[in-house]
Amino acid sequence: MPYVVRIEDAAAAYPEYRFMTPLTASEQKAAFHVKDADGNDLCLKIIAPDYRVDRLEREIRALQLIAHPNVVRLVEYTFSSRPGSLRHFMVEDFVHGTDLSARLVAGEQWERQQAADFFAALFDGLSALDQKNIVHRDLKPSNIRVRNDGTPVIIDFGLARLLDLPDLTLTCEGAAIGTLHYFAPEQFVGTKHDIDPRTDIFAAGVLLHQALVGQHPFWRLGMSSQEFQDAVCNSEDYKFSGEFGVLPERWRQLMGRLLEKSRARRPRHAAQVSAILRKIRTD
Amino acid sequence: MRRGSWHQFGDRSQKLATEMLGLGTGVGVIISARDLSFQKARHYADIYRGLGAEVLIDLQFYVPHFTNPKLRSYPFGAYRLAIPELCRLSDHEVAGLASPLEQIHSRIGANAVIAPAVAYEAGQNDIAILNARLFHVAKAVGGNLGIPSYATVILGQSTTTSAATMDAALSQATALDADGWYYAFEFSPERVPSDPDTVLRCCKAGLTLACTGKPVLHAYAGPMALLSHGFGSTGAAVGHSQNLWRFTRGRWSRAKRGAGQAPPRFFSTALWGTIIYPDETRRLPADLRAAILTTTEFATPVFSNLRWDRWSANKHFVAAICQKVDLISRNTDPRTCARSAVEVLQSALSLHDRIGATGMSLRDDTNAYQHSWLQSLQRLLTEADADYNYLSLLG
Repeated sequence: MPYVVRIEDAAAAYPEYRFMTPLTASEQKAAFHVKDADGNDLCLKIIAPDYRVDRLEREIRALQLIAHPNVVRLVEYTFSSRPGSLRHFMVEDFVHGTDLSARLVAGEQWERQQAADFFAALFDGLSALDQKNIVHRDLKPSNIRVRNDGTPVIIDFGLARLLDLPDLTLTCEGAAIGTLHYFAPEQFVGTKHDIDPRTDIFAAGVLLHQALVGQHPFWRLGMSSQEFQDAVCNSEDYKFSGEFGVLPERWRQLMGRLLEKSRARRPRHAAQVSAILRKIRTD
Repeated sequence: MRRGSWHQFGDRSQKLATEMLGLGTGVGVIISARDLSFQKARHYADIYRGLGAEVLIDLQFYVPHFTNPKLRSYPFGAYRLAIPELCRLSDHEVAGLASPLEQIHSRIGANAVIAPAVAYEAGQNDIAILNARLFHVAKAVGGNLGIPSYATVILGQSTTTSAATMDAALSQATALDADGWYYAFEFSPERVPSDPDTVLRCCKAGLTLACTGKPVLHAYAGPMALLSHGFGSTGAAVGHSQNLWRFTRGRWSRAKRGAGQAPPRFFSTALWGTIIYPDETRRLPADLRAAILTTTEFATPVFSNLRWDRWSANKHFVAAICQKVDLISRNTDPRTCARSAVEVLQSALSLHDRIGATGMSLRDDTNAYQHSWLQSLQRLLTEADADYNYLSLLG
């Protein structure tokens, strides 16, 4: 269940901001497009009272480590408690545009050059995470904003894992959270030690397949969750679809690599994928 | 990491390495802490560098509780513990390894840090975690010294029995943020690995590492260096001792092994194997003998049927392998390198057939592996097509 706060209540609790519209809420956060006193567009997220603060700390730390055009910027994080008043919220840059989910329409295929440009930038963002040893772990269309100029911004680091944290026990529950449709095989069958930047690369590969082919590589209508898991972990049937088959050879090679079941066989660094996409964009 | 053949020697071989480098054979030297004291390592590192070579030091951590007087001369004796004890070290204690590692690498002037690591074993997550902890320390040391840090990936025999266990180990190893890979594969204890499936797995694992886009140094390659660049390695380590021709833990047991008084073996590039000199070479028909006696700077006596000592045979062995491997490595496309190796092996097999037709059988079974290697490479070229394609994409 998403954490919902009425916009009137939010405006009353945070009078220093002008509330524009509610945004898609998650289980942990109610989100709003707001403007500050200087008229800057921001995204204010009110954190649910029962949200795990330890998990939030990871998100805050992750965001504070990164300054990259394809990763959302954290402006402020505040936790204050006074008698009768609890304010626990974070403010990020508001990204004008849409979620990627609005652009990924079943049956519609992107132009390859458009896909190359968009996904090269997305992998640039993932590379920025990789360099800081962060795994997003929940990359999905609703966690990627598309600016009006068509460039992507990775948002919502609620499940991000800092790989160099000494205590990683919180990540054990990774398989119970996140979004199944973009899970890598190791998120279904692995342990916390099996999660690394290549987990995000797999999810981005699923997104790229959706953009180029017009459908999810593994999900089919009517599938049970077990069937879906089996497909993610074992099937390469997507390679036999007509739409996939007509892609230029180097695109198919890259796609096959992104969607490898084994982490060892996926691209090791997101920056390598960006470079390849820029190389093959005109194929 | 420089591309080509690297010298990897045990003890009493430092002058041999110097001689090779003086001739322009080999691009680097891997010093073995098991075989050379810290003081001598520093001395020879300067010489090697002066001869234009890159220098690395392998701290020989594979059987971590093994020690000897040479190893004790390095300031990291406190960490030569059994694997379970190493696993129990606190983060603070593991971090303490940074200081001796930095001291060793800075004094030697190493071109990169080879992270200490133990062999990966199937189903042993604790070993993967230990290797990751050791690597993080090595990475920090490399960062401080401004040099790359190579993760050591030794695939223990338990990981190489199936594609799934090998894949699991490789997934764990390649999770490390390494600047390169120091790679070896544990084979069964035979003189030269000859099982085609196992050799194929060794090649596939190396290719998987190469597909990370980081350089691979194939350690303990020996004659198998012929295959190294064909599976994407940047460097291949060659030494004359048989216990350096494959990774084997016997090297770290205390049992003494003598070479005996056997006559010298002649490494024939054409056979890609050895033949006993002069006993066997003398029995060959003249045309076959001429085809087999491939020359190097150290093989002159054999063409006049003169006496030939074991050290000259060792030098010839290293020079012959390095020179051929360097020739192959001039082409940077792994697929082309693999095809070059295929040609060498096909030609060698044809020569072995001709020897067989004379009714002579080689005493050391030195024709036991060429056919297997050929099969392995041919299967690699077919089965690993996606990997080769991906390497091209990366390139």
